[in-house]
Amino acid sequence: MNRQNFLPHIALAVVIVLIAAFAGQIRRWENEQKNNPKPKRGTVAKENGYGGGKRDSRPQRSFDSDEKILVKFRTGTDISRIRNITLRFNDELKDEFENVKGWTAIDDMDDADINDVINEYKSLPEVESVQGDYKISIDPQENYLPVLYTRTEGEDAVITSGKPNDPMFENQWALSNTGQEGGTTKADIKALEAWAKTTGSKKIVVAVLDSGVYYIHDDLAQNIWHPSENNLENYYDDELGYVDDENGFSAVDNNSDPMDENGHGTHCAGVIGATGDNGTGIAGVNWNVQIMPLKFMNKRGFGSTSAAIQAINYVIERKKQGVNVRIISASWGSTQYSKALEDAIRAAGEEGIIFIAASGNSTEDTDKNPHYPANYKLPNVVSVAALDRNDKLASFSNYGAKTVHVAAPGATIVSTWIENGFRDASGTSMATPHVAGVAALILSKEPNITVEKLKERLINSTDPLPTLKGKVVSGGRINAAKAVKAE
Amino acid sequence: MALTKREIITIAREDLAERMGVGEEEIETISYEEEDFPNTALGALEEDEMAGEMITSGYRLIFDAGGEEYEYRADGEQIRLVNFGGSNFLIYE
Repeated sequence: MNRQNFLPHIALAVVIVLIAAFAGQIRRWENEQKNNPKPKRGTVAKENGYGGGKRDSRPQRSFDSDEKILVKFRTGTDISRIRNITLRFNDELKDEFENVKGWTAIDDMDDADINDVINEYKSLPEVESVQGDYKISIDPQENYLPVLYTRTEGEDAVITSGKPNDPMFENQWALSNTGQEGGTTKADIKALEAWAKTTGSKKIVVAVLDSGVYYIHDDLAQNIWHPSENNLENYYDDELGYVDDENGFSAVDNNSDPMDENGHGTHCAGVIGATGDNGTGIAGVNWNVQIMPLKFMNKRGFGSTSAAIQAINYVIERKKQGVNVRIISASWGSTQYSKALEDAIRAAGEEGIIFIAASGNSTEDTDKNPHYPANYKLPNVVSVAALDRNDKLASFSNYGAKTVHVAAPGATIVSTWIENGFRDASGTSMATPHVAGVAALILSKEPNITVEKLKERLINSTDPLPTLKGKVVSGGRINAAKAVKAE
Repeated sequence: MALTKREIITIAREDLAERMGVGEEEIETISYEEEDFPNTALGALEEDEMAGEMITSGYRLIFDAGGEEYEYRADGEQIRLVNFGGSNFLIYE
């Protein structure tokens, strides 16, 4: 047996011994029952003898019909006396706790009301204290589940049950809609179910082409892409020369710093990849990912077409140099067609980069009134409409049976903001990074999927919604779990 | 520092008076109302401009000059003239 096999073998042996011991105990209990049949008290036990009052997030206590009670006898009460008492009540002494002096476990063999049993023992002069043997359980109705997950592949985690401990996760209806604030239960992207399979991967780089990213945000810093960590030198451009792109790239003011001064880009970045389960703020669709901050819009939140093209060119160059950037998230646009921008996005597609774009917020049919870049008819462009918390097309969202591909949550979305902040925002801007995030989840499990197949997966894995019929190509809301084949 | 209502009105009136070639006293403020706009450029993009697709709160100002109405939009950080001769203009940022 080599060293690598040693621990699994030991663990297996321990499990087998425990199973055997448990099976033996069950047989002993069965024999005791056969040899010592007890008459019933003639009452039916309550299924939930303990409870009521205000619910809280702690595990709830309840009784089973075969529950025991725990009794502490006064000092000097010997074991024979205790056995006599239990026999008198038609009960059975199950256990003495050697390390918890005086306490015993007593089984009520005739399944009487547990409160009656407790009161009987309380009335005895030999008894100092008595309580139910409370079963620790989870209240599934309230969904107050503990954080339980297992880590695989090093830093990549999958969540096996429960939810992340990020304090604002309760507000993230887009990821887990429990009907909060008048929403519709399960009108979400099924993030919890998807996280059973993947919470993302640091091997995937998502370019957030926007107003930059507040890359020192406590909830983002861990997931920011840095070229030095990827053994890359500073970016070189024929016109710009060497550019310090350690934190990403800026096409604004040629100062090379993609620090967000507006907030819009930081909000989008948080939806895609705020660090999950870190006890801070929110959880991104990806807990683990690399976000490449790109700044082409200024502190007021607008920028030029040429700056957008310059940033896309940067992404393509870095891709050619080996950076695994497969997604550009583009939560912006205008109604003006630009052949140059279209060509830049096409070139990105030819490098294996999908381009997720906002359909726009003018409540218009983009089949008739196009909005760019979402409307470019390119194989790597995915146009995104916005939904509210009730699975309805948001009042502001554009739509298009032929030109908008999918819908995603985009109304009152909480995410990261500049100056280490968090805030709600609405728009197809907020829907777009949900789709980009799901694309990143897919890539974390299928890194070699082609752009065409990735787009196809995003469209075909949606949940059909009546309100979207004839409004978007897929007729549905994105479903992260289906997209990663977790369900 | 965000622009105040008074500053927004003053800047917009001055801009319109100059464009119209009239005195500021000939510009009448019709209304100043809060409104949500479709993007970070308040739904009034200039040519060759892109904006974030986020609902943005701001103000819609209507002025009268020579019997014609003119619209400005502002959010404390920017002021835009809407559809003046078929184009939008960012007049302050």
